[in-house]
Amino acid sequence: MIPALLRWLAVPGFALALGACSAPPGPQFTILSGSENDVLEPMVQDFCKSRRATCTVRYQGSLDIALSLKPGNDPEADAVWPAASIWIDMFDTARRVKSVKSIAQMPVILGVRRSKAQALGWVGAKVKTKDILAAVEGGRLRFLMTSATQSNSGAAAYLAMLAAGIGKPDLIESGDLDRDEVLATVRGLLRGVERSSGSSGWLADLYRDGARGGTQYDAMWNYEAVIKETNDKLIADRKEPLFAIYPEDGVSVGDSPLGFVDRGRGKPVEEFFNDLQAFLLKSETQAKIAATGRRVELGRATPLPADKATNLDPGRPLTVVRPPEPAVIQKALGLYQEALRRPSLTALCIDVSGSMQGNGERQLLDAMQFLLTPARTREMLVQWSKDDRIIVLPFSERVQWIESSAGDDAAQAALLAKTMQLRANGGTDFYTCGARAISAMKQWLDDERHLPAIVIMTDGKSQGMMSTFEQAWQSDGRRVPVFGVTFGDSADRSQLDNLAKLTGGRVFDGTKSLTQAFRAVRGYN
Amino acid sequence: MAISRRAFGIGLLAASAMGTGGYVYLRQHPEIAGRFGEPKKLFGFIGGEKEGFLSNARVRSVLDRRFGLILDARRAGSVELVRERTLLDQKPQFLWPSSSVLVELARSSGVKISRDQVIFNSPIVLYSWDRIADGLVKAGFAEPAGGPRYTVDLLKVLKAIIAGETWEAMGVAGLFGRARIVSTDPNKSNSGFMFAGLVASLLSGDVIALDSLGKIDGDVATVFRRMGYKPPSSGKLFDDYVAGGAGAQPLIVGYENQLIEWVLQDAERWKRVEASAPSKPVILYPRPTAFSAHPLISVDRAADDLIEALLSESLLELAWEEHGFRGPLGTIGKARNALLQTRLIERIDAVLPMPDAPVMLSLLDRLTTA
Repeated sequence: MIPALLRWLAVPGFALALGACSAPPGPQFTILSGSENDVLEPMVQDFCKSRRATCTVRYQGSLDIALSLKPGNDPEADAVWPAASIWIDMFDTARRVKSVKSIAQMPVILGVRRSKAQALGWVGAKVKTKDILAAVEGGRLRFLMTSATQSNSGAAAYLAMLAAGIGKPDLIESGDLDRDEVLATVRGLLRGVERSSGSSGWLADLYRDGARGGTQYDAMWNYEAVIKETNDKLIADRKEPLFAIYPEDGVSVGDSPLGFVDRGRGKPVEEFFNDLQAFLLKSETQAKIAATGRRVELGRATPLPADKATNLDPGRPLTVVRPPEPAVIQKALGLYQEALRRPSLTALCIDVSGSMQGNGERQLLDAMQFLLTPARTREMLVQWSKDDRIIVLPFSERVQWIESSAGDDAAQAALLAKTMQLRANGGTDFYTCGARAISAMKQWLDDERHLPAIVIMTDGKSQGMMSTFEQAWQSDGRRVPVFGVTFGDSADRSQLDNLAKLTGGRVFDGTKSLTQAFRAVRGYN
Repeated sequence: MAISRRAFGIGLLAASAMGTGGYVYLRQHPEIAGRFGEPKKLFGFIGGEKEGFLSNARVRSVLDRRFGLILDARRAGSVELVRERTLLDQKPQFLWPSSSVLVELARSSGVKISRDQVIFNSPIVLYSWDRIADGLVKAGFAEPAGGPRYTVDLLKVLKAIIAGETWEAMGVAGLFGRARIVSTDPNKSNSGFMFAGLVASLLSGDVIALDSLGKIDGDVATVFRRMGYKPPSSGKLFDDYVAGGAGAQPLIVGYENQLIEWVLQDAERWKRVEASAPSKPVILYPRPTAFSAHPLISVDRAADDLIEALLSESLLELAWEEHGFRGPLGTIGKARNALLQTRLIERIDAVLPMPDAPVMLSLLDRLTTA
């Protein structure tokens, strides 16, 4: 009884003590989030600051967030905030995520360059998915879209296309995916993919950088709010904005769920999460979120008014494509990766210079083993299809050999066997390797069937001149993007950055895990 | 003054008797024990629809201060929380699913039950939007019940869904594709589970029994297949409904209390919705419907006290007043809220009992393999 009495007596004293000094510092708090939430991060950080908490937002694709929630994996985060709750429901089978609430609603729509939309007769018209298909098939439209297996916006666009291809956009059922005519329709639609990526935010940057640099893309599938953000920047740059197309027969919607990951860190961390979620859902914050072009829950805030010039209208009622059963989604994603997406044409320039000897060589061969072992790539939904073309070019100061292969299992095994013989030696020249890659790709580039990319993995600084690559790249004229993967401490990122900037590619940090970096690159090709 | 040995012995005996008596008394009156002892921490899984109630600061305060109980209650689907090994292996001290049938299922999953007791009742309802409900009324599927509340002929709606009717054919303009009702996953969550039982009974013309399952299981499977993705918990489905609007969630299955709770959470928001939202949420009471009981299962004896606490008048009244849960007998509480008065039907007479657990299990198996 005495401890209880002391507890009672202690309350007023504690309250006084609390009043006398400032609030205790809040927790270290990590959120694993989709890239589309980056514009909301300042609101999160303001809240964290008010609680003297240190918040870190780590951006990942929806599939990565989902995989981290599988039993046995550690998301190393206190909260998850993917683009759609289906990713949590499908993978968090041990129910470690709780208090999940939708922060905003984000339909995935098609933004089309306004003059292009005009030319297609889509301004002021009701557009259905079959109209988009007809434009793609007629060679009048190409678009940017994230990888359906790596990013939610790509998955959402793909599922909407699939539903429309089936001809009953209210639902996709398992048996529909076995019908040849459905697969042919969707393959036709995906032929319109001009560039892909693993991140919706990066895709929007690619569109904008293209407009700035004179590379005009026709269109982009992305979240309604990301189309709005892109338009704000395009208009500020005095560039042509995107015209929003909401397919009449249905769009997919991401519900942006924020959930708490219970890692046993105690009540204060959970309470901090609850307060953060309540803060994001209160009317004032929801009004700010609505001002970014996001849709918010009924009655929480007024959506942005419709904009005639861009057709963006977050208040517009939508027909929403019902997400299919998880098993159907998994089947559909497998089909996308193995049969329906535009096949990849990937040239892998891999550094086997002397500085790679020892640990570097081992990690490189491990990463190649991952990339060319179907059972492992399939787990991460980055497997090759038989229609893909893989070209391996090991380089030091010269390209040691060039081997081109199809993407079927046997061909991958042969390519892997040859790659595993590699030993590191000599200098470094990736410019020449890149130029050789372009000429090795030429025969497939010409038919425009494949989605091309050059991946350069290096741990050093290249000798030679960038112009060696640039001349080959310009004369080919097909805008093949270069993706860099850095490795080790002495990699000169600036050289790779310049190549990425020139070609609309991206540089990935492979210092922590070369395998992870290679996997991420696959989402872009 | 010296105390005689006898007096000391009697004193000791009396103190010991008082101690024992006090201990026994406090054990039988957790509301008093809670005031004095260290609070007792209990961990368990609950159906999503009760998450709001248990995170209500007033409820937590009553549980802590009056009953000495602090809960770590995690949301899971009501069906999975009595069946899934990944959840049961975490050794929950209590389970709070949403149907009495699930107590039987818990037992058959090997859960050792110390006590179980129905705490709340809530009818299964359909949630929709005013313009959709008006369309259903025009087409003869629903009837207004005075105010923006409706009753719906569930069997008629189900037959239209099975026949693949479009929304348009059911009187609802502006919605693309075939009509559907979406519930939670019946293998994980109770509202979907109960809806499966209700659909099977309605289609068979009586409370479904094992020998008549074969006649209607194909039709029940069609209703569920047409739903596509089914969320794992009722709370999540309702959140999707209010967040997604009429285009995303035209017609869903839920508990009556969910709208009440949502309205009461933020009365100003509700007033804004009533004043200006392009479409407003409405309840359609199926005729007949099923009542969802919410039995608390104490697995660990330490959780027995939670049953007493939850049945206390103050918590039951709070459950109605702020969260819309009817009491153990299905009757509403004392409070009347002007915001909701015209939207609820106080007395629900057409009620179908739930089929037995073995029938439900067999039905779930057939839905999984269909």
